[in-house]
Amino acid sequence: MKLTTRYEQTSCRLIVEGLPDLSAGQDSSTIGILTGFTMGLAGQTELEGKREHLQALLTAVIPYARHLLSGVPKAFGEADAPVAIAPGDGCHQLELRSSQPNTPPLTLRLDDAELADLVRCLDQLRLDARLALPFEAPPLVPLARKELRHRQPLLRRIAAPLAGVAAFAISAALIAMLPTPKPAPQTAPELAPPAKGG
Amino acid sequence: MAQAPASVQTPLSRRGIERLDLMLLCAEALDLNGGEAMVWLSEEMGFTDLFPNRVELWKRRCTNPLRRNTRRASLKPEETDALIRILTALSERLYPMLRTLLSSAEPPDLNAQRWDLFRSRLRELVLERLNPRRGGVQRLLDPQEGPALSRELVQSMALCAGEGGFERLRASLLDAAV
Repeated sequence: MKLTTRYEQTSCRLIVEGLPDLSAGQDSSTIGILTGFTMGLAGQTELEGKREHLQALLTAVIPYARHLLSGVPKAFGEADAPVAIAPGDGCHQLELRSSQPNTPPLTLRLDDAELADLVRCLDQLRLDARLALPFEAPPLVPLARKELRHRQPLLRRIAAPLAGVAAFAISAALIAMLPTPKPAPQTAPELAPPAKGG
Repeated sequence: MAQAPASVQTPLSRRGIERLDLMLLCAEALDLNGGEAMVWLSEEMGFTDLFPNRVELWKRRCTNPLRRNTRRASLKPEETDALIRILTALSERLYPMLRTLLSSAEPPDLNAQRWDLFRSRLRELVLERLNPRRGGVQRLLDPQEGPALSRELVQSMALCAGEGGFERLRASLLDAAV
């Protein structure tokens, strides 16, 4: 019996079809084998694909959203992957490469709202308990300092160390200008006059 | 409601707490009842042990170093996790509004009015609660930098809406401080 699950947001509709994997002891309402999915995106396209395409979509879009949330947009998706996403000029460029020969890749320009819709649909998909499919999404971990480096402009980033070095150099120069103190002239120790009388 | 998964419990950095409280402030700017909604959600999600009343919730938020009356106490990871969960639930409730603000398909003049209204409410809240001498607050109130920063905050809220947003936002708030 074919099972269908829908995830909907304003500009994104994802319909997943599959069958329960009864041999693995799953109950009849759990999708254990994915037979295909369709996705309507940004009112422009109706996409169809198999599990590996859905996996590629997750692998590209979820880390992209993660980096965007930290304010460091970064392109995701290998050159040979079916899905790639990169920051564009005021938009997000989602590139879908068909596995069929002689089909040029399709590039969709998503605005911030459409990207958020897509991310929410994919979030619902990966957290859905009715799907017993181990989708591999890269772990959501804090970014290292070097990955965040270009979040602040160079001048603001180096301002503090630069000010520190300058302050050190100026104070060193000022101190160097002070005359070296001369050693005090050596004088013979004076003895106290001998006590008189007795 | 799902509870936070057991993971390495790292406290949020100063910057992370600033951003978390600013996003909660944005939720209040978007929804006039945002403050009440926060208290109600906290009870609904079972955080009464952590925040027994609205004053305790308020005190936790006042650990933001940008606040006028900032508190020096540090937040425990379970407290920040609860605040993040409240924020993701609030973002989910406000998602239609966040989406409208971010969408390029909306009529531009109407959306400009919506942004003006949101920014004026945020400005009022910022002036009321945050310390205007701090650089971060001045940037938020700056007519040049402010709009881009408030858009970033709204975009962050849209990307962390719902249950799936919890791990993402938490990871982002734990980023190494720059």
